[in-house]
Amino acid sequence: MNNLHAKTLDIINLNVTLPNGHRLLRDVSLSLDPGEVRALVGESGAGKSMIGKAVLGILPTGISISQGEILLEGTHLNALTPATRRKTIAQTSALIPQDPLTALNPVRKIGPQITDPLTRIHGWTKARALARTRELLDRVHIRNPDRVLNSYPHELSGGMRQRILIAAAFAPSPRLIVADEPTTALDVTVQKEILRLIRELQRETGTGVLFVTHDMGVVAKISQKVTVLFGGRVVEDAPTHRIFENPEHAYTRALIAATPTPNASTEPFRPVPPALIAELHREIQADDDRFSKRAHR
Amino acid sequence: MVDATYSPRPMRFKIRNLRLWLPLLWIVTLIIAAVFAPIFAPHDPLAQDLMLERLPPFFIDGSEPGHLLGTDSLGRDVLSRMIYGARIALFVSVIAAFSTGIFGSTLGLIAGYYGGWWDRVISRLVDIWMAFPPVLFAVLLVAVIGTGLTSVIFAIALIDWTRFARVIRAETMVQAQMDYVDSARIGGARRMATLLSEILPNVLPSIIALLALEMGIAVIVEAILSFVNLSISSDDPTWGSMISEGRGAIHFAWWVLLFPLIALFLTVLSFSTLGEGLKKQFDPVLK
Amino acid sequence: MTDVMTPPQPALFSIKDLHLSFPDRAHRPLFGTAPRIEVLKGLTLDLPEGRITGIVGESGSGKSTLGRVLVRLLAPDAGQVTFDGKDIGTLDEDALRPLRRDLQMIFQDPMSSLNPRHKVWRIIAQPMKRYRRGGTRADALKALEKVGLPESFADRYPHELSGGQRQRVGIARAIALEPRFILADEIVSGLDVSSQAQVLSLLKTLAKDMGLTVAFISHDLSVIRHLCDDVIVLNHGEIVDSGPVQTVFEHPKSDITKALLDAIPRPEINDSWFD
Repeated sequence: MNNLHAKTLDIINLNVTLPNGHRLLRDVSLSLDPGEVRALVGESGAGKSMIGKAVLGILPTGISISQGEILLEGTHLNALTPATRRKTIAQTSALIPQDPLTALNPVRKIGPQITDPLTRIHGWTKARALARTRELLDRVHIRNPDRVLNSYPHELSGGMRQRILIAAAFAPSPRLIVADEPTTALDVTVQKEILRLIRELQRETGTGVLFVTHDMGVVAKISQKVTVLFGGRVVEDAPTHRIFENPEHAYTRALIAATPTPNASTEPFRPVPPALIAELHREIQADDDRFSKRAHR
Repeated sequence: MVDATYSPRPMRFKIRNLRLWLPLLWIVTLIIAAVFAPIFAPHDPLAQDLMLERLPPFFIDGSEPGHLLGTDSLGRDVLSRMIYGARIALFVSVIAAFSTGIFGSTLGLIAGYYGGWWDRVISRLVDIWMAFPPVLFAVLLVAVIGTGLTSVIFAIALIDWTRFARVIRAETMVQAQMDYVDSARIGGARRMATLLSEILPNVLPSIIALLALEMGIAVIVEAILSFVNLSISSDDPTWGSMISEGRGAIHFAWWVLLFPLIALFLTVLSFSTLGEGLKKQFDPVLK
Repeated sequence: MTDVMTPPQPALFSIKDLHLSFPDRAHRPLFGTAPRIEVLKGLTLDLPEGRITGIVGESGSGKSTLGRVLVRLLAPDAGQVTFDGKDIGTLDEDALRPLRRDLQMIFQDPMSSLNPRHKVWRIIAQPMKRYRRGGTRADALKALEKVGLPESFADRYPHELSGGQRQRVGIARAIALEPRFILADEIVSGLDVSSQAQVLSLLKTLAKDMGLTVAFISHDLSVIRHLCDDVIVLNHGEIVDSGPVQTVFEHPKSDITKALLDAIPRPEINDSWFD
């Protein structure tokens, strides 16, 4: 099944639905090449986090994939049994979460929390797992890895914890990483450092990254491709330079315009025009009508 | 950023509701039986008839129609005594739980919100209080202040207020850190007003849950005191005294012991399950 | 430490050598009192009347602590906090209460600062009633109108509103008392860029119309650039830069300010940003 020339990730017409039939993702399609960073951007409720969760198989209870295909390294995830699917995902992908505190178990030391998945899922020896962990901690500029490995999460700062989670995610050199707003809770200076680390490691390991964010500034710095979402629908999908130099959709333009900059010259405080939002909602409605017709046929 | 997604949990609602409804059903049955005891009880609970002593319950040979759950060693109807016993059990549990709750919660709120000197005195008092073994404490107390229902209630409140004080103090301290308490101060509210209108409504779910739990405990304590003959007169039908009497005849009239024991067990279980369920029900789903 | 440039307006707040510390519970010895962590290390600053002053810094810089001293939710260990010529640093809760009408605050998280059990109009009217400045439903509606929310919102509960709408209710509650000073503590950090823009332009318009003095705490220099007249940059409890926004942004004196400005990811392609 595996194809050497396959894309890291291919999502085709993905629909994610609540039990009452309400769609959170509407026919989302996107792809990710090896070594590529694709930003998923949108406002709250746009469904950007939902895409990452669907790919990793960690959708909240009650929310399920109702239609569509997810291909991970050329493998159809839907075709696998749940156990094989979990194993495939665990062996090829990793998550960098938004909140580094809740992602780490507060009563266990950092060390085993990083090395356990390496020995358990990837079948490495303890020595190899530890060596690789040290190497990665060094790469994310943690100066005394032994002290950190023996610490509990609460003994470290937010930026430090996020660096540890980045090291943990990259340690097995996964093919895909989903980064779910990994810098939202951090100070700007720490954010820049974290973005730099993700970029460096991702280029080194050739990992494809789905980078979920609401910040157009972060999009401009980290990604090569962008998917702009609104209400669970793809509004625009384009290379990053085109998104900023020549955005096609009015909503993309509005999002960029609404992002504040420290330049005096830009006009301040331009919200997305209500008329545009109303039009997007009308499009969603029309889309839903078509979808239910399709389902009833 | 908060994703405004809604995740329903239909399965959990069903289980939670069942866990709420079953205990509620038992307690409501108990209340109806207690209130209308003279109507439901087939016999006078005190009426003795030595001709009919130790009759077995209806499903065993030799039972007498009209004495569904049999009779005790003095020929008194077990079912009727249990129904009248429910009266005493419920009366004690409600009054005792509420007095305990009001007293303990007030101290807990004060210690948690005012802090400092108040907190030090109340917390120390709680520590000292909890060093006493509760049942021994209760027996001693009732022995000193005399037997009777009022003494039993008084003893429960005096011993168990620490449960409320401890939990409510901790919850109040958490709530006092919240922004809405600061925003009430910014809006010019007095401290007492803040405590009553902002903090109290938010710790009320815990108080209600503890009240239900406390009712269960009160039923047990009353039964224990009856068992050692320190509640009301031994003639009066209480579950505790029935268990105490039934103990002597367990080999040839086990029903005298077993039925009140089951009633006691179900009641305590119901109250504590109800407490848990209520707390979950009242817990704000929205963060 | 640098002093604020002498502003043309008289200072509404004048702060001299402000010190504040918290007990460090994590390092508390078995016996005795916990050591103290100094959060504010002798701040001296003025907040000129009728201007919007941005207070910026990283987490742990002490910006929120400073804000909470201004509205006297916290009391200073040492130093003077003079509001309108009166030292409010040492007043007790009873003496502060009449002053609190003039010292209002908008919170970071409107969900936790609006009582979830009250309707919107009651949330706004309650403080008005306490200060005998009206407090009827009609008064609350007037305040709602000022923040651009229609009458129909009066009978809703906070959880029925969007983040941006909740923050408008927070603003309505603060301005309903017609205060002289408002502290806005990270009020847009939880909002989408679009609602952010709406809330900020509302705050700016209201502040100018009502002649309010505003302290705007934020970690986001881009927002401060457009909203504020003056800015104070804090780092580890000390002022490292201050002055009119234009001066500070175009000629930052401190490396901290420069680093903060450099770290802002601007929505434009720039390959050399990481270098």
